[in-house]
Amino acid sequence: MKRVLVILALASLAACEPGKKESVQVGYRGVGQEINYDRSKLKDIAAANVAPKPLPSAPVDTSPVKWQNVQVLTNVSNAEMFRTMNAMTAWVSPKEGCAYCHNPANYGSDEKYPKIVSRRMIEMTRTINNEYKSHVQGTGATCYTCHRGNVVPQYGLWHFTDENQWQRAYLDRQDVRVQSVTVKHTPDNRSSIKQTENTYALMMNVSSGLGVNCTYCHNSRSWATWQNAPPARITSLYGFRMVRELNTNYLAPLNTTFPAKRLGVHGDSPKLSCVTCHQGAYKPLLGAQMAKDYPALWGSHGWVRGSPNDTVSVGFKDLRSRDSVTTDAAPILPPELARPLPAPVRGKAGASPR
Amino acid sequence: MLEYQNLFNRVQIHTTVPDAGVPIDERTWVRQLPPSFNRWIGIIGDAQVGPIYLGATGVASLIFGFLAIEIIGLNMWASVGWDPVQFIRQLPWLALEPPSPAYGLHIPPLQQGGWWLLAGFFLTISILLWWVRVYRRARALGLGTHLAWAFASAIFLYLSLGFIRPVLMGSWGEAVPFGIFPHLDWTAAFSIRYGNLFYNPFHMLSIAFLYGSTLLFAMHGATILATSRLGAEREIEQITDRGTGAERAQLFWRWTMGWNATMESIHRWCWWFAFLVTFTGALGILLTGTVVDNWYLWAVKHGVAPSYPATIQITPEKMNDLRGQYQGAPPQTFPVPVTPAPRLVVPADSTAAVQMVVPAGTTTPPPAASNPPTDSARKRP
Repeated sequence: MKRVLVILALASLAACEPGKKESVQVGYRGVGQEINYDRSKLKDIAAANVAPKPLPSAPVDTSPVKWQNVQVLTNVSNAEMFRTMNAMTAWVSPKEGCAYCHNPANYGSDEKYPKIVSRRMIEMTRTINNEYKSHVQGTGATCYTCHRGNVVPQYGLWHFTDENQWQRAYLDRQDVRVQSVTVKHTPDNRSSIKQTENTYALMMNVSSGLGVNCTYCHNSRSWATWQNAPPARITSLYGFRMVRELNTNYLAPLNTTFPAKRLGVHGDSPKLSCVTCHQGAYKPLLGAQMAKDYPALWGSHGWVRGSPNDTVSVGFKDLRSRDSVTTDAAPILPPELARPLPAPVRGKAGASPR
Repeated sequence: MLEYQNLFNRVQIHTTVPDAGVPIDERTWVRQLPPSFNRWIGIIGDAQVGPIYLGATGVASLIFGFLAIEIIGLNMWASVGWDPVQFIRQLPWLALEPPSPAYGLHIPPLQQGGWWLLAGFFLTISILLWWVRVYRRARALGLGTHLAWAFASAIFLYLSLGFIRPVLMGSWGEAVPFGIFPHLDWTAAFSIRYGNLFYNPFHMLSIAFLYGSTLLFAMHGATILATSRLGAEREIEQITDRGTGAERAQLFWRWTMGWNATMESIHRWCWWFAFLVTFTGALGILLTGTVVDNWYLWAVKHGVAPSYPATIQITPEKMNDLRGQYQGAPPQTFPVPVTPAPRLVVPADSTAAVQMVVPAGTTTPPPAASNPPTDSARKRP
């Protein structure tokens, strides 16, 4: 009997996480504003989020584009174009090779649908990198941020079903606010408890996608409060706006391009969510800056890196001095509170947290 | 072999013939289940099992309760396509949900929450009949009705959650779903929707009485067990005598906390604490959404919630940008993209110029609302 009880008692611990824990304060002291990490899981996250080394820089080359049927990458040189194509192959279709998108006999042909999709995806990446610095800052995004060597990103793609209405917040639903801004009831807020559960599901989706707990973005005593929340919440809000635009303008309209096997039961194209890029890390690839090495993904006309009209590098400088003050997490805190934000993995290649 | 000559021990002492109990009026119902002794039951309580008096209310209560459980269970089973394995595997997450808020207080189709109404109705009938039974059995034995009124307090909370408050709010959708995790998820969502229930003072009271109940329970149980070696439980008539077990129990508490409850009043303490857990809880539920829509802001207004230094400095303009909209009504259909991506038409001769064709009928630009502002759009004055 006692032996059975001992075994049962030990078995009840099976759901516990044995790893060493680490908590990082992200708000005012003594109010539980902290992020908790399991160090053993951080190792897995670090291993899964290593950015590949950049390809060698392309030589300065001002010769006109000699490729046929180039519609988006018109403002990069032949050499840079070739380099970008090689990088994209390694990021997206390492097994399938160039032939996944191209007809090897005629690289200009658009007969394969992945070529049309990837053209649109390059435009999308440029939108992310240029229009959503409020979310991606200078780090930007590359194909690899989502694809990680797969022709279809492995995480967080969703289609319409009757059960996942809450995911529509990533596309076309109104915002997810449910709490009133007044003590008493007003007709403005008619949110129901079921709508709250939608918001809850969405927030848990974000939380698990980023590998963080609620207090990474929120002060849980009042979810709606901005002033007492960690600044990461603002970055996250811009992320939502970004995801909505990407889904609305780039992914959802591809339903006429994708073959049926890529579409959902309602004929809609796959749409992304936070985890598609983040993949369990609070910053995709733990903040590794891949995009800066690929000017084609920024769409700048001054594609020669280091030249006076190199808007990519200029953008970097601007961001460091401007946006990070208002939207990044750590610098906002008063000095006495400002322990560095999670630096979960130190000293690993490509895993620098900022 | 007796450990000690005391009723408060674990030796199972009983007669050879089970006791049928006091005589009662058996014209309307008889006692059933011939009494017997069971050693294993005797380990956790009295060894005698039976007889039981079900009565008309008891039988009706069991029937209605069975109907309610049946409706809930079959709906859950149907929700996994009548797969028995999935039913067992997913049981903790399966739910019978109340009607959508769109139905208000109307009666929806069975599949849209009608089953929930029906199950709730039967469960309520079952519980109320059981309350009548508790009341009438107490009366039949000549007891007070304290148990019935304590039970009534729990029923009041149950009705507040599932009936009174939804009616006050004008929507069955405000009520609690049936299901193990679903009702817990509802609890979390309820607290979130109404701005953190921990700032609801009646919720605070309810928690205080709940924890107080466990404290009183532990103090009382420990005191009686500790003094039973002196036969204190048989000393009600001697409690004013010096040196008895009962007097020592009271002396113990006077020594440790300066004051003591009496043998009688400790039971009133326990009863009221238990009663008030659900009673104050129900008041807190009834005030939520009807009188107060955001308990955190209520607590700020009345100086309950402390304020802390802001961690972000936000200008009013920035705040306007950040503040979202309330969640709208759930869409009934799935959207079709307003502007499909331009389709490239490849001529048969693949070296000819490629045309970009926008599909017909899709020239309408998307509405501005569906285009979230980008950074550059926001920066424009």
